[in-house]
Amino acid sequence: MPHNLLPTLDFSRHQRWLQRSTGCDHALAVCDASGALRWSAHGDAVSGAWLDALNAGGFAWPCDGDGMQRHTLGDNTLLYTPIMAKGALIGFLAVRAASAPQAPFAWDALAEALEDMAGAIADECRAQGELDAMADELSDRYEELHLVYAIDRQVQDMASGDDLFGDLLESWAGHMDADVAAFIKPGENLCVSATNLSAPIHNLDLVLVEMRGDLYRFAHSSRQPIVMNEADDPRRAYIFTDMPFKVLCCPVFQDKAVVAILVLLNHAQKEDFSNSDRKLGEVLANHLSSLSRMHSMLAETSKFNQQMAAALIEAVEAKDPYTRGHSERVHHIAMEIGRALRLPPRELDDLFWGSLLHDVGKIGIPDAVLCKPGRLTRDEFTFIMVHPERSYEILRHIDRLKGAVPGARHHQEKYDGTGYPHGLAGNDIPYNARIIAVADTYDSITSSRAYRAGRSHEVAMAEIARCAGTQLDPGVVAMFETVCRAEPDWIARFRIARDPVASAPAAQATVAA
Amino acid sequence: MSARHILLVDDEPHVLRVLRLSLEREGYTVTTASDGHAALACMAQQLPDVLISDIQMDGMDGRTLCPLARATYPDHPFLILVMTSMTALDERTWARAVPDTEFLEKPLSPRQLVARLSRHFAALPVMPGLPPEPVHAP
Repeated sequence: MPHNLLPTLDFSRHQRWLQRSTGCDHALAVCDASGALRWSAHGDAVSGAWLDALNAGGFAWPCDGDGMQRHTLGDNTLLYTPIMAKGALIGFLAVRAASAPQAPFAWDALAEALEDMAGAIADECRAQGELDAMADELSDRYEELHLVYAIDRQVQDMASGDDLFGDLLESWAGHMDADVAAFIKPGENLCVSATNLSAPIHNLDLVLVEMRGDLYRFAHSSRQPIVMNEADDPRRAYIFTDMPFKVLCCPVFQDKAVVAILVLLNHAQKEDFSNSDRKLGEVLANHLSSLSRMHSMLAETSKFNQQMAAALIEAVEAKDPYTRGHSERVHHIAMEIGRALRLPPRELDDLFWGSLLHDVGKIGIPDAVLCKPGRLTRDEFTFIMVHPERSYEILRHIDRLKGAVPGARHHQEKYDGTGYPHGLAGNDIPYNARIIAVADTYDSITSSRAYRAGRSHEVAMAEIARCAGTQLDPGVVAMFETVCRAEPDWIARFRIARDPVASAPAAQATVAA
Repeated sequence: MSARHILLVDDEPHVLRVLRLSLEREGYTVTTASDGHAALACMAQQLPDVLISDIQMDGMDGRTLCPLARATYPDHPFLILVMTSMTALDERTWARAVPDTEFLEKPLSPRQLVARLSRHFAALPVMPGLPPEPVHAP
């Protein structure tokens, strides 16, 4: 608004020019486009009074061209010049003079001076307006820079990729002062949102469904950012029907195709989404594009890892049908204990792989020994004792599993030092190995073997309690008991995971026994 | 008019210009200074409600200015916001250690600054004689 710039100028300068160029002490008054006084050399009271009277009388400030205009006011004459900036009227320069000038050329000098000054003021306003527009633009760039730096830092600080989107959206909702920020990628079934509510939204789930469905389809075909502020926007016939939210939706591209959307929502009573909001939204959507590509790559790698591990386990368990599902059950139990013990993320990750792959070394045990129904001879048992070391030899080739290997290698060590392969005792046994040992013991007791049927949960718990301090770490055992008491059902879930083939002969064995 | 008075101190003119514009739009009166000495001179003329200062400046820098401003006007409860670089960790550590001082990260977000100030003034007890802050529709 150029007329807002009038008060920023110093008009006393113009007053001096006027006096110098006309040689008279005319008092300058500056009015805005409606004729209201903005500045006066006489002080506001004097000039304000006659201007008010003039405006109150319905004076319309008629202009014939952009030169000086005259209007008779009783004994005086009002002389005024419009100030035009970019073709728009932004105000008037006015002088009230006695009706009979001393010399005929005085009017001409006054007209010339007023017109020059009006031109100069208009130029100044224009320049000021351009500067302000530039500062505005700069301010948007600052906003952008701030966000980009902040995203950068946040991404660097993220330990794992899981909460990346949630954390980012939360900070963006705060920064953009939006009620809801959401990232939706239907192809990967991803729908992450964060809220910063100025007023409650009762049907947030429905709102997310709306985004996932119609809004995504709309953005997918339009390929443009969507800004919808008005309640009667015609597009509401297709998107956000009956939902009065203000919407800013930016498509997220990958290889020139829209694969996801970033959505910001505001309650109707909040301010409209502006042009600079839209620009910021596009910057964020751009970042989301590369982040989500990274995220899918990570997810793919991690899926590949797990499938490789599953294949490896399958190879071990194919040798002995009685141990089917054993690695997975031990893994679930060990992870539950690990989480209850509040292991840091890095160690939990090691436990994840260590527990899953702890028995990989059994691949090297002859089938005749592994599946033998009945007691093993001393020689046969030596084969069994080698398997943790064998697990280590297999897994050490994988850099990613460096931290996980000790858990697998030492899961047969006993707390009192009588275990194998190294006869470690107490805290010399890696913590993960002590956790895996408890989980392994539980699953071995409750599982059926070629030579005996699986025993009950109660028997297993009693046996584990008996071994606490001798074979098993009492601290880990205590935590295992706490977890079992707190949630009696979770162990039962793993029993369901047992292979029915493995339990059928066990039932017969019970009868035979 | 008893508009809230903000003193902005930074040696980069473009920062002063952008922040000044954003703040004036919100109805604040803004004075600017390009280093600590100039800022103290401004404060001697009129005490601000909020002092916003950069840290890195030629002349007197922010590390000297902020404690000095507090010590010079111990009875004047003004908020001090320092602008720290996002990458220089020691600046943030320093800012955390100065009592009653908060920091904003550069590149500064004008929106965040405006939001921070309106939160600050909304939390202040209403002073007699001051018109109530304009309340935006919820």
